[in-house]
Amino acid sequence: MARMKFLADAERCIECNGCVTACKQEHDIPWGVNRRRVVTLNDGMPGEKSISVACMHCSDAPCMAVCPVDVFYKTSEGIVLHDKDLCIGCGYCFYACPFGAPQFPQDGAFGLRGKMDKCTFCAGGPEPDFSEAEFRKYGRNRIAEGKLPACAEMCSTKALLGGDGDVIADIYRSRAITRGRGSEVWGWGTAYGRPEKKPAAQPPGAKS
Amino acid sequence: MRGMSQRKRFVRLLVAALAICLPQLAVAASEGQKQQAERQLTQPLNNAPVWRDVRAGEGNPYQTTQVRGIETNVLIQSEGEIWREIRNGPVTVYGGLFVLIIASIIGLFHWLRGPIKLRERPTGRWVKRFTDWERLVHWSTAISFLVLAVSGLVILFGKYIVLPVFGGSVFGYAVFSWLAAISKNLHNFVGPLFIVCASAMFVTYVKDNLWRSYDFRWLGNSGGMLWGEHVPSGKFNAGEKVWFWFGLFLLSIVLAVTGLILDFPNFGQGRATMQLVNVVHAIAAVIYMGVAMGHIYMGTVGVEGTYDSMRISGGDGSVDETWAKEHHEYWYKEVIASRGREAAPTGAAAQPQH
Ligand code: HEM
Ligand code: SF4
Ligand code: SF4
Repeated sequence: MARMKFLADAERCIECNGCVTACKQEHDIPWGVNRRRVVTLNDGMPGEKSISVACMHCSDAPCMAVCPVDVFYKTSEGIVLHDKDLCIGCGYCFYACPFGAPQFPQDGAFGLRGKMDKCTFCAGGPEPDFSEAEFRKYGRNRIAEGKLPACAEMCSTKALLGGDGDVIADIYRSRAITRGRGSEVWGWGTAYGRPEKKPAAQPPGAKS
Repeated sequence: MRGMSQRKRFVRLLVAALAICLPQLAVAASEGQKQQAERQLTQPLNNAPVWRDVRAGEGNPYQTTQVRGIETNVLIQSEGEIWREIRNGPVTVYGGLFVLIIASIIGLFHWLRGPIKLRERPTGRWVKRFTDWERLVHWSTAISFLVLAVSGLVILFGKYIVLPVFGGSVFGYAVFSWLAAISKNLHNFVGPLFIVCASAMFVTYVKDNLWRSYDFRWLGNSGGMLWGEHVPSGKFNAGEKVWFWFGLFLLSIVLAVTGLILDFPNFGQGRATMQLVNVVHAIAAVIYMGVAMGHIYMGTVGVEGTYDSMRISGGDGSVDETWAKEHHEYWYKEVIASRGREAAPTGAAAQPQH
């Protein structure tokens, strides 16, 4: 069985927020809740990089471990889903998650946050596939339709990849080994000249 | 190397320019970039400075996102995993053990030593110990405490103790989630109420809980609890005073401050704050519950006649004179003196029980 994963290629992301918009649209997500966001590092400086981030469907998920009511479950494809009917809105999953993925519809005075909402990898929830209840709580179930997540499918530069981990890893690997052409040709290196000496040899076993 | 150093110089120049424009922020923000540029010269492909930036971000004007919310421009926070390790680890394991051990010690004490009985016969004469107000304040605090303790226990241990009772069935999950939701909401609303009650409790009881020199003697003899000798005390003995200052005063403050921070995330406090505060809250709560079990034991079955003083129905907050003399002799003498009567001689009460 495939292990579903997201992969964000910071060399390609142009911070268009298409994935964010696609997600909100696909699942009819209310204001204030964002299952996906794009973070830009060194905004406006040389070396600026953007990365799209949402729930990464962790193998040993911290959210799952801390939830006091055990609402999370994992599909056979490694997608981390949750049962909103059981959620008590304590916010613990948000404290534990490395990526700030869990979201809440209310501001939380007296701990009233409402039911947690997060990226489902477009795989819905525990309700029957394509049911009205499933759509209302979790949005569309594209996985059951045989499709991949809307964000990755919509990504104009294909910076965001979503799907079988082996397949997207291969795509990324082929990109990484053919890099050093394209935009880099007319980038800073060209404008200010190439280094005279070759950069230090790559340490053995280093990842590209 | 010329090209590289030119590029570096350009980055430096840019950094300097920004540093002049935006004094503090720019220095802090561009530090990571600069470090990364330098690191690439000495150790190509070592991206540690970038990863440091990725984990920071709050207050960095060059790390941005379009999404509004708490720390949305932080890409990764690894502290959540540390919090998980601590909360699901020592806090749950040792916290649970602590509660169980205290309960066992109390059980063992009750079984081996038995309740502390009055040595003399009750006189049938009563002395007023607590006014209506004092008892009202005590029970408001006690009941809100119990609600917080039980609901807190459900949040912390329910998943391990209550949920398995249902054997993981769909029905069991639904029932437990319902219990947890009630617990959470009770906890979050009764918490502030408890703060009000505990404050009233403090004001009402503080004058009788001021530390006196004779309290050291009481503590030194562990109140005569183990060997049965008589140790006089004021209205409250040193054990009760420790409960007052360490429990009602110190632990309540810790729980109130951390509890309020947890209860009002709408002020936008970050995850690191919540993680720290949650651990402190849980540890203080477990200790508080442990000490409270001791208090509840002593106030009910542990010491004969004590419960009379706090009765709401079937009593008016009075205790028998024998109880007063045997447990709070200085207070007893004061009360009797204020009635213009001779205090009964200490008599047999001064002798060890066994
Ligand atoms: C005095 C006795 C108290 C006890 C014994 C107690 C106990 C606990 C326990 C055991 C937890 C669970 C911690 C965890 O699961 O990690 C908890 C959580 C919490 N407590 Fe308390 N607590 C007390 C007072 C308060 C007060 C005074 C407040 C607030 C004003 C408060 C607010 C909270 C909040 C907001 C949580 C997080 C739970 C959630 O939102 O689901 N607590 N408490
Ligand atoms: S919500 Fe966060 S912790 Fe949970 S699986 Fe998704 S990324 Fe991992
Ligand atoms: S907010 Fe809901 S899903 Fe998150 S830890 Fe609490 S109960 Fe679990």
